[in-house]
Amino acid sequence: MNIKINTTGNHHDVVLDGRLDTTNADQFQKDVAPLMEGESPEIVMDCSGMTYTSSQGLRIFLMLQKSVNARGGSLVMKNMIPQVKEVFDITGFSNIIKIV
Amino acid sequence: MQDYEKGLDLHGRAIMGEFRSLVPVYQRQKKLVPEFISRSLEEAHVLVTAIESRIKTGESLAGKLALKGSKYASVRDITDIVGARVITFYSDDVDKIAALIQKTFDVDWENSVDKRRQHSLESFGYMSLHYVCRIPAELYSEPEFPELNEIRFEIQMRTALQHVWANMYHDTGYKSGLEVPPEHLRMLNRLAGVLELADDEFSRVRTSINDYRRKVQTLVSDGNFDEVSLSGDSFKSYLALNPFGALTARIAAINQAEVQEVPLVSYLSALRLLGCETIGDVERLRTEYSEKAYRMSVHQIGQTDLDIISSGLALQNLCIVCTVSRGGGTLELEKLFEAIDGPSPYNAARARSTLAFIEKIRK
Repeated sequence: MNIKINTTGNHHDVVLDGRLDTTNADQFQKDVAPLMEGESPEIVMDCSGMTYTSSQGLRIFLMLQKSVNARGGSLVMKNMIPQVKEVFDITGFSNIIKIV
Repeated sequence: MQDYEKGLDLHGRAIMGEFRSLVPVYQRQKKLVPEFISRSLEEAHVLVTAIESRIKTGESLAGKLALKGSKYASVRDITDIVGARVITFYSDDVDKIAALIQKTFDVDWENSVDKRRQHSLESFGYMSLHYVCRIPAELYSEPEFPELNEIRFEIQMRTALQHVWANMYHDTGYKSGLEVPPEHLRMLNRLAGVLELADDEFSRVRTSINDYRRKVQTLVSDGNFDEVSLSGDSFKSYLALNPFGALTARIAAINQAEVQEVPLVSYLSALRLLGCETIGDVERLRTEYSEKAYRMSVHQIGQTDLDIISSGLALQNLCIVCTVSRGGGTLELEKLFEAIDGPSPYNAARARSTLAFIEKIRK
């Protein structure tokens, strides 16, 4: 899983690329750590290149969502491929994270 | 010496000197008193519109001394140099806050006054409860400021409407420096009567709402679901019974999944979309479709190694199988997903794939 973060003030444009699974979840969690800091963050994740997410990935997205809520910010995931969106749908996570 | 002190006699000037030397103590009180009030209200879960505090200005004090300076032997006899104010939403909260103030501070009853009880049956006007208090040493003390526990201050308690009236009266009458014609004072006093009526009505509305909520909670907890209309309040009371807990646990057991608890109130609009008008309708939907919702999950997450689910999944799948079982197609499912997760460009595709999936597992 490759991640690119472009930050301007409190706005973070994030581009995800590849599989997110148990082999790289720990590294991914370290990579998103900068997004867990600062007030009122606005995070937009472009998921067009993300081909899969495991439960570990869902847990990290959930942790990020909770952190954003606590800091009065927003998290939006966009351009998800149908196979990844299905993972969010069948676990009920589409109701937790805003997916556009 | 400031210009405004020049008209004072020697006694008045001496009191102004005492005032200046005590300013650091007043500043401590101005900061501390609202903090203690705020903490006390927070512990008692009492909401107010504002807590404010101020120190009387030198000019205002000099004005007071010019009028009635001989009344005071020392600046310590003047009890409103530091003043705090608690502004409430409801008139019946004033007495509740007064009780908390009594518990927090030492009240000087001789100098405290309930202006609400000073009006005769025929009169209307200033309504506020004033307590003169001290900070008890058991609550707070500072060795370098022993006067903190000796100098009295005033706390005013009144409703937001009483506060508005008092400010208007203050501006137009009491301290304008001009004599206000009696007809204008009468207009102000008439307004005080109207606001007193409005305060009583606000309290009555709150009491009615609370009575309604208690009634709904009782009906729901007693299982009289058909008597309770589906609303935000009644749905919350129903959810407190954890009606979807068993189905959620069954679904989680499929993959030994962790359940992430989320608020389920957002499903209210989806249940309304499905025609639920009472809590009884929701309960029937739950009992009628639980097995199908479970089977759907077996075929969905059972085919994966996903081991985390949302606590909303049971209700989500109940709504989906109910929609399809009642003959709903992609359009109805799309509307359902919009009600559950909000508008999204994915909803149409999700509706199509969900319908195809359910038709496949039916076979």
